[in-house]
Formats: sequence, C-alpha cells, structure tokens
Amino acid sequence: MIEVRNLTKSLPNGRKLLDGISFKVNKGEFVGILGPSGAGKTLTLRCLNGLLKPDSGEVIIEDEKGVGHDICKVNKRELRRVRQRIGVIFQGYHLVKRLSALENVMIGRLGQISTLRSILYGFTDEEAAGALEALGKIKIAHLAENKTGNLSGGEMQRVAIARAIFQMPTLLLADEPISNLDPSSAKVIMKLIRPLSETMPVVGVFHQPEMTAKYCTRVIAIKDGKVIYDGDPKLSNDMLVEIYGEELSLIEQQEHAVPPPLIATN
Amino acid sequence: MIMTLKKYSLKRYRKYILPLILLLVVTEGAAIACGATFGKLETGLLNGLSFLGYMFPPDWSAFAEMVQPAFQSIVIAFLGTVFGTLLSVVFALLAAANISNPWVRNVTRFLIGLERSIPEIIILLLLIAAFGLGAMPGIIALALGCIGMLGKLLADTIEELDPVMMESMQSVGANKMQIIVFGVLPQIMPNLISYTLFRFEINIRLSVILGAVGAGGVGYELDYSFGMLQYHRAFTALLVIIIMIFGTERLSYMLRGRIKMEGALK
Repeated sequence: MIEVRNLTKSLPNGRKLLDGISFKVNKGEFVGILGPSGAGKTLTLRCLNGLLKPDSGEVIIEDEKGVGHDICKVNKRELRRVRQRIGVIFQGYHLVKRLSALENVMIGRLGQISTLRSILYGFTDEEAAGALEALGKIKIAHLAENKTGNLSGGEMQRVAIARAIFQMPTLLLADEPISNLDPSSAKVIMKLIRPLSETMPVVGVFHQPEMTAKYCTRVIAIKDGKVIYDGDPKLSNDMLVEIYGEELSLIEQQEHAVPPPLIATN
Repeated sequence: MIMTLKKYSLKRYRKYILPLILLLVVTEGAAIACGATFGKLETGLLNGLSFLGYMFPPDWSAFAEMVQPAFQSIVIAFLGTVFGTLLSVVFALLAAANISNPWVRNVTRFLIGLERSIPEIIILLLLIAAFGLGAMPGIIALALGCIGMLGKLLADTIEELDPVMMESMQSVGANKMQIIVFGVLPQIMPNLISYTLFRFEINIRLSVILGAVGAGGVGYELDYSFGMLQYHRAFTALLVIIIMIFGTERLSYMLRGRIKMEGALK
C-alpha cells in the first residue's frame, strides 16, 4: 500500500508545481497517472521513491511487514532500505548498456546484498538462477548474455521489468515506460506490467489514454499540480478535453472527417 | 557591386603593412637579444650535418647493450601508466560532479589542474632529491603525470554519463560504491582503455627523456654515449629509441582503432 498526502512543491519563484496531491493505491491496483506535459506527473512519481523531496506532504509506503514509512522523513540510510523494496521502470533506456541483460537484472538486488560481495560481482547460485528466472518470466531468457546496448527498445524495457521482478519490491513505479516504444512493443510491456499488480501496487505515468483505459484498473489525472480526476480508467471525451485541452477534441473530429484526396483527380 | 569590387582591391593589404613591420622588428630585436641570429642558424645546421656524419655508421656491436635499457624504459613507462591510470580513476571519481560532493569535486579539479601545469621533468627532479637516481622516481613521476590528463578526461567522461541510468541504480537502493562498480566503470571502460593507451605512448617518449635526466633506461644510454663522445654508440641508442617509440605508437593506434570499432557497434 502506498498513500500520498497533500504533496506540495514550488519553484523558488513561487510557482506551484505540485499543489496538494493526495491519493492511495492498494495491492491489486494498476494506477495510471495521466496529464499534459509539465502537469507534475513525473514530479509526483519522483517524490514517491524519494528521488525528490517535496516541500510538504507525506508519502507513506508499507513494507513487507505492513509497517508504514514516510519516505520524505527517513534518513539517507533508511531511504536506501525503503528503496530496496520499490521497483522503478524509467522512461527510455536507463540500463547499463555495456553490461549484459543478466547483469542488469542483478543490479535489482544491489541494495539487498553487501557492498563487498557486490563489487566483486559475487552473486550466489540462487541469485543468478533467480535473475535468469526473472528474464524467463518475460520470455527473454535467451538474451541473458547479450549486452543491453545491442538490444531493441522493447527488449531493453523488458529487461527493466525483469530487474524490477528480481528486486522483489512491494511497490512498482513506472515513469512513461512505453513512451519510446512502437505500439506493439508498448502493448507487450503493458501486458507484462499489469499482472505484477496482483502482488503489489503499481503506479505508472503515461501519455496514452487509450493504453491506460485498456490495461489500468484506475486512472488519476493531474493538471497544474492538482488531482482533477481519480476513478474509472475509461475516461469520457469531456474529461479528456478537460485534461489535455481543446486541441485533443479537434484531432478526434478530424479523424472522423473524410480525409481530402491525396492526389487531385480531374 | 562596388562592395564586391572593393573586396578584391589590392589596397586592402595596406592595413597589414604596419603590423607586419612591427612584427619583424620585434622578432629581430628578440633574436638579437637572446643571441639567435640567422648566421648562427646556418653554422648550427652545418655543424649538425657534420655531426650526423660523425655519428654514422651506428655501432652495431652496441646494439645488444641497448636491448636491456630499452626494455627498462618500456617497463618504466608501463608501470608508470598502470599506477597512473589507477590513481587517475580515483581522482576522476572524486572530480566528477555526479559522483562526488561539490566541495571535494572542486578541490580535486584544482589538484588535477595543478598537476597538469607541472612538467614531468620537474616532478622527477623533485623525486630524485627524495629517492635518488633510478627507475623508482621515474615510475612515480610518470604515474603522477597521468593524473593531469587522464584524471581530467575521465572526470569529464563520468560527468557525461546518462543521469537516468545513475538514478535508476540509486532507486534500487544501491550505494555509491555499487553505482561506481556496476554503472560508472563499465560505461567508461572504452574511454578508459583508449585514453590509457594514448597516455602509454606519451609515457614511452617521456621515459626516454626522464631516463636522460636520471631515471635510467635507454635515455640514459644516449646521454652517456654523448658524454663519452661515443657518437656511433649514441646513434645506435637513437635508432633503438626511434624503433621503440614508433613501435608503441603503431601498436597503440591499432588497439585504439579496435576499441572505437566496438564502440560504434552499439
């Protein structure tokens, strides 16, 4: 379970980036956060795993024992401990490109093993087997030995999911995980993320309302640093216009209009 | 039109006449002041040519005596480069803004810049005062000499690493040491190897010069032969030096070419 209470963040010039964001996500939910660029989606997500400190507000994350930790108040050492249980899939290609897919998956456990052991790349047989199994779960075990830099965007994002699985988190965050992917790879990634929400809350930031409508269990819309919608993933047309502005409805109308002929016929 | 014609008028050279005369006067004045005249250049060139005549032919019997000192020069350069690279990596990590804290970074950057401004020969002279003549001060001088160049280049490489990659490692709870070993080092490895090979070339040349000053090796043989007026022997030493430098340059060029090819693949 993760609960966000009244998150605020302002620029030094007083402009409010986050203006009282609150929501709660339980196990079994796959929440998609929508909103126009600059609305504060990614900012919110960065607050959820402590990469960014909000000006005020609380982010309570329940660990495996059910004890809540406020990630905004813990010290550096505890922050690392809480983070061990938060899986994150970032936008674009955030893997270590010169390491193999398997090694990248193993990075998921770095927070949980001793520094000395890890800097020798000394993983136990169970850990190695577990990392391979995580790659197997998303059906790219055959790429384990490949350098991630040579993989396609979709494959890299799958490795990132395998890393999150191997990390055994109690919360999964995804920051625009499908932004750089073609539509079919994007669908594959969404299909892989969705079942993970059975064992932990999953919160993702997206730019594709049609994807969140199909795969998410709930949608939260953020605009100007405020939550303006929280509920059913299938958004009405009016709601979409409210989130993204008039331009969207204009595009929709054009799609239904008869397109002009490409070559003039005489 | 008039503008274009003006552009090609001979008159446009008029403004260069006065600066040119000034430059000639200053050059001539400086040459007279330090005693470098064209007359001297002529006699010097003639002397140099007849000197080459004295040196020719090389003393082939001394060739066998040169092998061991040449090997010593290479070993000095090699060890200097190895220790220098290790030192430089440490300095580079401390001097990279995305790894180090701002205070440590600035101090380290200052030290790196300071090292770069001190020629290796001066470092060697200081070290000879402490260690006495021999290979040891040579190796240390070369190792310290690496820091100015490699430390700077590597620190810049580290600062250019993908910030999302670093954040994504932070977000699994990895500590700084683990981020360095799993993220930074694999990613900078091609640059590290390439710069190190290049520095090895430089160090081979420097080890000859430092040898003449007192670090031993083939540079010392050259200096010694000249001092003993054994010009044929000096010529042999010179040939060995040229072969040695040319050989390492070709080898390093070849190896660096391979690294670039591998980098281009990803």
